[in-house]
Amino acid sequence: MGFSKFLSSRIEALKELVGILGRDFEYVSILGADTKSLSIRADKSSSSISEGNDYDSGFVVKLSRNGIFYEYSMDDIDPCIPALAERISSSFPAEAFEGIPAISRQALSDEPLEKNFLRESDIDSVSEEDMLNFCRSLSAELLACSDKLLNAFTALSYIDTHKLFISKNRTLTQHYTWCNGVIMGVYKDNDKMVQPREIAYGPDMGGVMAQLPLLKDALIKKGDILSRAKPIEPGVYDVITDPSITGLIAHEAFGHGVEMDQFVKDRALAKEFVGKYVASPICNMRDGAASTLSAASYFFDDDGVLAGDTQIIKDGILVTGISDLSSATQLGTAPTGNGRRESIRRKAYARMTNTIFEPGKDKLEDMIASIDHGYMLFETDNGMEDPKNWAIQCVAEYGIEIIEGKLTENYVSPVVMSGYVPDLLGSISMVSDDFRVIGAGACGKGYKEWVRVSDGGSALKVKVKLG
Amino acid sequence: MIKTIELLKADKRISDWKLNIHRRESYELFFVKGKLDCVRCTDTTNNRVTVYVDCDGFRGDAMFYVYPASTEEERKALIDSAVSRARLVKNAPYTLPADEEESYIIESNFSEYEPVELAKTIANEVFASNETENAAINSLEVFVTKHREEIINSASISKSQVHYDAMVEAIPTFNGESQSVELYEQYNFSILDLPALREEIAEKMAEVKARCEALTPETPPSCPVILNKAELSQLFRTMVADLDYAQVYYSSNLYKKGDKIQPEGFGDRIGITLKGEIAGSYRSSRFDMDGITLGDLRVIDNGEVVAYHGSNKFAQYIGEKPSGDLPCMELDPGSSAPERFNDGPYLEIISMSGLQVDFYNDYIGGEIRLAYYNDGTAITPLTGISVSGKLSRVLAEIALSSERVLCGGYFGPEKALIKNIKIF
Repeated sequence: MGFSKFLSSRIEALKELVGILGRDFEYVSILGADTKSLSIRADKSSSSISEGNDYDSGFVVKLSRNGIFYEYSMDDIDPCIPALAERISSSFPAEAFEGIPAISRQALSDEPLEKNFLRESDIDSVSEEDMLNFCRSLSAELLACSDKLLNAFTALSYIDTHKLFISKNRTLTQHYTWCNGVIMGVYKDNDKMVQPREIAYGPDMGGVMAQLPLLKDALIKKGDILSRAKPIEPGVYDVITDPSITGLIAHEAFGHGVEMDQFVKDRALAKEFVGKYVASPICNMRDGAASTLSAASYFFDDDGVLAGDTQIIKDGILVTGISDLSSATQLGTAPTGNGRRESIRRKAYARMTNTIFEPGKDKLEDMIASIDHGYMLFETDNGMEDPKNWAIQCVAEYGIEIIEGKLTENYVSPVVMSGYVPDLLGSISMVSDDFRVIGAGACGKGYKEWVRVSDGGSALKVKVKLG
Repeated sequence: MIKTIELLKADKRISDWKLNIHRRESYELFFVKGKLDCVRCTDTTNNRVTVYVDCDGFRGDAMFYVYPASTEEERKALIDSAVSRARLVKNAPYTLPADEEESYIIESNFSEYEPVELAKTIANEVFASNETENAAINSLEVFVTKHREEIINSASISKSQVHYDAMVEAIPTFNGESQSVELYEQYNFSILDLPALREEIAEKMAEVKARCEALTPETPPSCPVILNKAELSQLFRTMVADLDYAQVYYSSNLYKKGDKIQPEGFGDRIGITLKGEIAGSYRSSRFDMDGITLGDLRVIDNGEVVAYHGSNKFAQYIGEKPSGDLPCMELDPGSSAPERFNDGPYLEIISMSGLQVDFYNDYIGGEIRLAYYNDGTAITPLTGISVSGKLSRVLAEIALSSERVLCGGYFGPEKALIKNIKIF
């Protein structure tokens, strides 16, 4: 499948629109999107094929005048470009905002670049019928594995992203796909119902369909674990995090606090710690659409800035944050390629992409052996940021008790980690030498603006409050 | 979309079809530390088409989106693709809602204002509401949106409604001598009431000052805990989510009709009615995505599950009358007068990172950003503590206030006193 015909057919008209609006505004750019998603699922008695909620089609015009950004979102461009330009301009009458102080920012750069980016995918070579039959078969196989499963679900989905960015000096296109698969059970045992799930992901659907069947046993085992899990006795413990929980810490506990639109709002304590220790000296963290290939890997961001790979923490010291165009021009820094929108209907903000702790030198077995009494935590459930005050709430699906250096059969669920970010990051005493990125996440800013993200890294040994 | 409807009607392969049109027109203002950062104006429409194909005793469906600018050939290709997909999906048959034609306007006074002026009025009121010394609103986002929703189907459903909402996302900040702290505020409404807005923001400014003064106790107190409206809304929304027809169909519901979802105890008995509309709620709606007229449905009475709820297809699958997807919830008032919540000792939660409610694991808890601790003699703001407990024990002895308030789609007790929860 080539680049979107819809977007391609509008390029010349968009360039004309940029030219006309450029007479009245200091900066003009247009982002076009033609993103489709498909979701296929089956359980024991029903199935579905449907376009997914990631559908995004249309254009957002971004303008700047006297320090203020103006944005106009629309489904399509009118055939009469001068009339459209007039409609957009008249939506932002200068007199409506007279007397309101505006942001002070440096001039916007618009370095010349014309480039078409493509990441190949196999999505056109896998038929929807094959995908549906795969879902039906795998759900049936799961149900045959255990009579404790009341139902089993298999779902395959993909997002096929086409984006176009046009400014006076730049014309960029990108096309890429990301695929996800999940198996989930309704599992009842020990007089308790739980919903274990396993996930697979990657740029190719073939890879996802190859991985999922290998996770059947893990799903049944997780059902058994969760059904036997007990509440944890609240307290402060030595803890080992699996890569999913490591990613949750990277993302929720610290990552939101280095989104630099929070710096300009004085909403991030991290702003005062640039160049200072924020974590143990064995800790290294990075973020970027180009930092690894995962769910948030793209070629340019929604501000038309090429994808970056930003070292955020180096040997425990905070190096820098991540920025969108708006925050970078207010701070006088170069944007890092982290300007992202939920859709063309929404504003761009500084957002995380693929956020990871880098591998260390320790062996996981040595880390576990070093704990007299504590827990190893697994599987992200959810988390919430507090960038100004660095409070933590990260929820793990389950934990396994460690006694005298060994994992036991004592499971706890759910497990809520809480505390103070510098205490948590400063307590990192061991980092494993393995590494895994979980490419199946979505993240909001506050309680809105959802975008796809990935996170992960290595196992960490920390001390933290669990409840 | 007339062309799309003609194509759907003319296609003999299609047994039924449904068209959902949602136009959103918004005006949005974004401020950074009181300065205008960005102004946004949006005018977008989602056209969702669902085709239903009956084949060999099964019914399949497939949904797709249509661009406003799609040509006739492109629309035909989309329909072809959807028909092929629907034929692959072999589900039990069900019927669509039929033979109703209505047009509604949900109550709001937003239409009296120009969108840009309304957004500016709201922003000005938020900034003016801050009368707390050393406090500021470091970030303010104002969204004013007009929604026009329409549903048309092949069974003679033709309904439309216009509704408005405004959302304020504000970050109240207090700059103390040794630290600066913030809280998160999201306030949604569909009727402009400037005194109510002012009161809401002023309360948040006082709370953020309290967070700055708050201490982390060396030994957390052991006492009952008071939950406020936002946490109560979340707790009871999680409770009724388990009773959705789809959960029942998928065998994933924990509770069945007749089950005591609230264990026996000394607490107020829980009664919940799901509703389409609650006066003043921005979530109010007259019909759902299938076009089902939304009314009231009692789902929990005296702590016992008395009904399930949910959408058309799953209702028919489990032999129930479709209630539609009901967006609002009314919780019965409790027996506790407001003064009961004034007598210490108690810990009143003002702000959490997010209340964790897990019926599967019988858990309730979370991290507290601000709470007021009343030891019986004085009130002290606390932070840096967490709570954790067994949900069933909390529900058994919950004491609900007799005063009720609106919070988003929730209308119910303003406060609840809960016991058997550990503060740590």
